[in-house]
Amino acid sequence: MNIEKRKSELVKEFTPMLRKSTTTSKIWIGFLIAVILVGMYAFYIQLTKGHEVTGMRDNVVWGIYIINFIFFVCLSYSGAFITGILHFFKTPWKNSVLRIVEIVTVLSIVIGPIFILLCIGRLDRLFYLFMYPRIQSPIIWDVIAISTDLIGCFLYLYLTFIPDFAILRDNGEGTPKWRQKLYKSLALGYQDTDSQRERLHKITKTMATMIIAMAIITYSVLAWIFSLTVQPGWNSTIFAPYFIIGGLYSGISVIIIAMYVIRKFYHLDHYIRKVHFIGAGIILLVISLLFGYFTFTEYFARWFSHKGPDINLLNTLFTKYFWEFIFANYIGVLVPIVILFFKKFRTIKSITFAAVIAILGLYFNRYLIIVPTLETPYLPIQDTRPEFIHYSATWIEWALSFTGIAVFILFFILLMRLVPIIPMSGIIDNERNQKGKFNESTKK
Amino acid sequence: MKNKLFKNFTITLFIGFLFSATSLAQETTVDDYRMKFDFNTFKQADNSRLLEVSFIGTNKKDRKDKAPVFEADIEFYNFLNEQEVKLGVAKTDKEGLAQLTLEENQSYLVDEEGYINLKAVFEGTGELDSEEEEIAVKDLYFELDLEEIDSVKTVLLQVYTLDSIKSKVPVEEIDVIFSVGGMLSKMPIEEASVENGEYEFEFPEGIPGDKDGNIDVFVSLEDHDDFANVIQKKTVNWGVLNKIIETESNTLWSEVAPIWMYVVLTILLVGVWSNYIYSFINLLKIKKEGKELESKNKELS
Repeated sequence: MNIEKRKSELVKEFTPMLRKSTTTSKIWIGFLIAVILVGMYAFYIQLTKGHEVTGMRDNVVWGIYIINFIFFVCLSYSGAFITGILHFFKTPWKNSVLRIVEIVTVLSIVIGPIFILLCIGRLDRLFYLFMYPRIQSPIIWDVIAISTDLIGCFLYLYLTFIPDFAILRDNGEGTPKWRQKLYKSLALGYQDTDSQRERLHKITKTMATMIIAMAIITYSVLAWIFSLTVQPGWNSTIFAPYFIIGGLYSGISVIIIAMYVIRKFYHLDHYIRKVHFIGAGIILLVISLLFGYFTFTEYFARWFSHKGPDINLLNTLFTKYFWEFIFANYIGVLVPIVILFFKKFRTIKSITFAAVIAILGLYFNRYLIIVPTLETPYLPIQDTRPEFIHYSATWIEWALSFTGIAVFILFFILLMRLVPIIPMSGIIDNERNQKGKFNESTKK
Repeated sequence: MKNKLFKNFTITLFIGFLFSATSLAQETTVDDYRMKFDFNTFKQADNSRLLEVSFIGTNKKDRKDKAPVFEADIEFYNFLNEQEVKLGVAKTDKEGLAQLTLEENQSYLVDEEGYINLKAVFEGTGELDSEEEEIAVKDLYFELDLEEIDSVKTVLLQVYTLDSIKSKVPVEEIDVIFSVGGMLSKMPIEEASVENGEYEFEFPEGIPGDKDGNIDVFVSLEDHDDFANVIQKKTVNWGVLNKIIETESNTLWSEVAPIWMYVVLTILLVGVWSNYIYSFINLLKIKKEGKELESKNKELS
């Protein structure tokens, strides 16, 4: 096999994907930019008028911003976890999903923390957090964990991109000059020599190991922000593993949806095949069973202990938030289980549908962890206006939330314009390995 | 066919949820509760009289589920035969309690045997039935003295009623409880049976007082058939000064974090960052090798 020729073939195959600009994609990008502009206007209003324009008040100080933060950060951690695990699998099928997972990981860790900044009433005082940090505070642990994780994720993503940058640099005929320059500087002089390849594999492997450990630690720290308080609904010993499972649940679901959309839009049916969806679906089934088990344990223990504040919280969940509770903890768990459990239901569309239900359910689950707890504190809220007790997100909060999603999708599209979504270096490595194995067997 | 089957299954599941959820969401009404209307009276330390009504509904199916009646108007009366005097009106609070305090100088209609007949009335509303309860109580007086007799701390009690010309009539036999005030509740120090209206006992040593050594001494009578509830209180400087209890402070609230926390954080950060640096150094080596290869290629060409 002539590797250089094969590289050139792959570049030819994937180049249209990097430059493809159809009417649909243009409309889609225009729509995303419009959503972002509305979000920027909403942010301007919030910045000038203060948090009064949001639904957050004295009692419910956290709303959908913090839910978005948890959702995106958990997505990133689960992505990091999955990509780290996948790195150790020596199967060719992992190549098709690896880059999707890596991009999800990095983008969500960039977008997630922005929601925390939106949640802070006095942004001008933010620097006090860094000037006078309290090492005892879980908030500081989270700041340290997220910033460290952000750098780690970027580094890991970059390491996996280098061989593809090198291939694109060496086969850059017909590409604009700025692109050639960009690929040249980002490829870092990588020539795919044995020593360079070995060195890159070594550090990528170390980073993959570390990223799994970091995902578990940072996940737990995020859960501890809640569980180390004595608030009803938060003070729980199983919150850290519960968050990890919940994060994986959303992470795998987002990956399935991304796989479905990318496969359909770029016609990558021969790379992202049914076997990938079935594999991801089975993992989602296992995680949904675990997530259901953790959810049941969490609420069952609260109900059985019959402590006053916990019972108040459960009453709120079963009255005011009845349908949200049913959707989050019944439909959001049982529907994916039913779809994924029976072999005949496991089609690409139904697996994607299960993933959509799982994500919506998990978002409601996060909402029910945050808002009802703040609405039912230990000391009953008395003699105050109803809007100070009950939280309801305003259009400003929704606009900024959708902006987060729009930025996520837009950056995803832009990154797919920079490098192919299917790692070319991975395909080459697989073919090289297969050839090596074939040569060994013929020698024997 | 498969898609149709899947659609039908999803719809059936969703409808199933709808029905089960609707049955769970059924609301309870006032008919599900058994109403309890309790009337009681307490003669307090300042000789005023507290009239109290407890108005609470208990779920017929779940006794733990209690619903206090809030903002119900309770009217209190003193009556004798056909004569009736309205003492006042009180509203029930969030606990279902309506309280009315009558001052020491309040005059009552008293029957021949010395009983004050009291009545609490709830007129009823469209949803709640009317309620009424009566009690008869005699006016009882506690005279509590705390004296040091021959350096012995002594508690002296006189129990009496007043006759028609306001002269004291000692109570022949009655059981009372002496107690001292505590932070959460009263601690009994003597259970006594008073005979001929008098009782005395030696106050126990070593009882802790407040920061000034003061102790609240109480004598009380509870749920008596004739006198209902009576309490009297005196404060005396007989307490042992409370030692300041040194509680272990929460190290997380100190200015500096526990050392182990710094150690763990440092190990984690050093581990992670050394790996980043290691990766970065290797990237530089890759770049260096690339440059060398590039220059070699240039030389060859």
